[in-house]
Amino acid sequence: MDFRLTEEQELLRDGLGKFLAARYGLASSRAAAKTRPGWQPAIWRAFAEELGILAAPLPESAGGIGGGPVEVMVIAEELGRALVIEPYIDVVVVAGGLLRRSPSARAAAVLADLGEGDAIVALAAGEPADGDRWNVLSTNVVRDGGDWVITGTKTVVMAAPLATHLLITARTAGTPGETTGIALFLTEFDAAAPPAGVEVHTYRTIDDRQAADLVFTELRLPAEALIAEDAWPSLELARDQGAAAVCAEAVGAIRTVLADTVAYCKQRQQFGQPIGGFQVLQHRMVDMYLELEQAVAAAYLATLKLDAEPAVRARAVSAAKVTVGTAARFVGQNAVQLHGGMGMTEELAVGHYFKRLTALQYEFGSTDAHRARYAHLTRG
Amino acid sequence: MDLTWSEQDLAFRDEVRTFLDEKLTPDLRQAGRLMTSVYADHEASMAWQAILHERGWAAPAWPVEHGGCDWTLTQHYIFSRECALAGTPSLSPMGISMVAHAIIAFGTPDQKDYFLPRILTREVFFCQGYSEPESGSDLASLSMAAVRDGDDLVCTGSKIWTTHAAEANWIFALVRTDRTGRKQQGITFLLIDMRSPGIEIRPLVMTSGEEVQTQIFFDSVRVPVSNVIGVIDDGWTVAKYLLEFERGGGAAAPALQVMTERIAAEAGDLLDNPGFAAKLADVRIRTEVLEILEYRVLTTVTEGGNPGTASSMLKVLSTELSQAITELAMEAAGPARRVYQPHATRPGGPVADYQPPADGYVSGLPWQAVAPLRYFNDRAGSIYAGSNEIQRNILAKATLGL
Repeated sequence: MDFRLTEEQELLRDGLGKFLAARYGLASSRAAAKTRPGWQPAIWRAFAEELGILAAPLPESAGGIGGGPVEVMVIAEELGRALVIEPYIDVVVVAGGLLRRSPSARAAAVLADLGEGDAIVALAAGEPADGDRWNVLSTNVVRDGGDWVITGTKTVVMAAPLATHLLITARTAGTPGETTGIALFLTEFDAAAPPAGVEVHTYRTIDDRQAADLVFTELRLPAEALIAEDAWPSLELARDQGAAAVCAEAVGAIRTVLADTVAYCKQRQQFGQPIGGFQVLQHRMVDMYLELEQAVAAAYLATLKLDAEPAVRARAVSAAKVTVGTAARFVGQNAVQLHGGMGMTEELAVGHYFKRLTALQYEFGSTDAHRARYAHLTRG
Repeated sequence: MDLTWSEQDLAFRDEVRTFLDEKLTPDLRQAGRLMTSVYADHEASMAWQAILHERGWAAPAWPVEHGGCDWTLTQHYIFSRECALAGTPSLSPMGISMVAHAIIAFGTPDQKDYFLPRILTREVFFCQGYSEPESGSDLASLSMAAVRDGDDLVCTGSKIWTTHAAEANWIFALVRTDRTGRKQQGITFLLIDMRSPGIEIRPLVMTSGEEVQTQIFFDSVRVPVSNVIGVIDDGWTVAKYLLEFERGGGAAAPALQVMTERIAAEAGDLLDNPGFAAKLADVRIRTEVLEILEYRVLTTVTEGGNPGTASSMLKVLSTELSQAITELAMEAAGPARRVYQPHATRPGGPVADYQPPADGYVSGLPWQAVAPLRYFNDRAGSIYAGSNEIQRNILAKATLGL
């Protein structure tokens, strides 16, 4: 039993933490979110060239450092602490993982570009009526001569507006809900100049990120666009990896929010004393702290079982996502409450963190979806 | 003891329904249905007030001689309920439901004659100046100065969390006229013309992106002493009276009931999910119980009493229930809850830094677009009008004697 980070992992954490403290301002990043292009390409470039974190989870053969779940956890927590909106988890952890597990040479080439910051890959998996499950998939694909022809609608495709490539899930056989017959396609993409057969609606999310709805109407792709034929096991793993990383990101955000709240309550005077002196608020902040510590433990649980066999992994990730989702809601809501009206404005950091802590409760499976999966897996 | 409605009550309900069917235009219905907070789109709210006023129903709770309605308690309740069920845009509470009650109870005949009819006709639109940057929960510590100079009070200081300040032409404010006694003494309840020189408004951008709340700066603003409501230095008495109106005595349950019914109607397959179904049942049960509680408190109010600490109880219960319902709406909304698209909603004010898509595209349905904004804005419920921590303190002290 050992919860210590290795020296390399500590260096990774400290290097990223220092970089973000020096270069990633909350005000400037929010301003960037609200104007075109909606993110900071220079930061992404620095992630690749100065920090090397875009390649961190990649094998050394792809120019990476062969980082595993713990490296991803360390990185995600720092990104959460600084409320980074650039899509690290969506692109590097989730899409990168799918590319890495594909036997296709094209996937390997795009993965190498991703690690260097030259490719940004968005996963188009979620659908409007999928009930929070990627296997409830109605986008279908048919063979036409040497081509693949895809028709269907994907919603809230994170990072699509900045993507150079799309990963698309589509059904070759079966009905929504089945886990067989799900294939994965890789294609070049530019939201500003979409190919024939793709309708793009880009937008900002409630947590200031970039996303899009994509409508495919007989999108025609060449044979080699297929990068995984029976993609469900890899997709399920990608979703769990995404959920585990979001847990770590949440821990970073919760740490910041709790520290801000404690500091505010020490400084804010009402009734002739700091409001932190009132026992009812002290207990509330202690409860926030208890939620944080459980979230930290839950993030470890998910991270350390991410490489286990699927059923063990799924159970750990669901337990973690439920714990972290609950903590994110409690801490976010109470941080706003204890900041009073100021907590509801965009003028203090807490409001921005609250929005992220709201959105992440639903990412890669909502709290309720994971609770249901946990119940199912532990029914015996 | 009776919870059923009489024949006359049912006839009144039908009268209200017919009126709403006839007068509530599609635009007004939409403005009501797509509200992102307790505040409706200002234009729609004003348009609806004009329609209600024409019928004599803009301020039913006022005494009849000032334009109120001679309704029974049940009729008041039926009216609120039918409006909520029909999805009318809300009316701004600051004039009709708040300062008017202070003017009625404490105002001079001249003040009543001037303000009450103009509030009804919208010629006077009030905003509220209570909180200050350093005086929130501890409202009585407020320090905005009002110094006597001849027949004027000269006001200097700042108010914050003022809703619709830019739309208002009057503000009712608590100002400090004396600093020698206890903090509750030396406060004066003052009506200030917003067109007076020396007033500056700074909008506050909320997490929803909306600019409905503001901070107001007063720099040597001259206000005639005749604009004081009640007695100089004894404004706290007026404020306490009003806070009890602000906190309770209304009917929140019907609107909450409509919110739960909409979730039930829109949730689709989620209703087969036992976890979700249990949560929905829970908020519906709380709403039904709140309705009876409100009914009981409303009895006191319509019989001429002040709701007292019961308003604290209703404030805590209704705002926390409303927050639970907005959480559930987020869960029901599906993937579109993540999308920021205020153009698909009818917010209570302008939205900062937002460019709607040129083609007007909406991801999902409008109610799904409302869900996150309503969830964000509804966090205010447990903060405004005396935070719920303060309400619990009041209940501990005044009700339980602790």
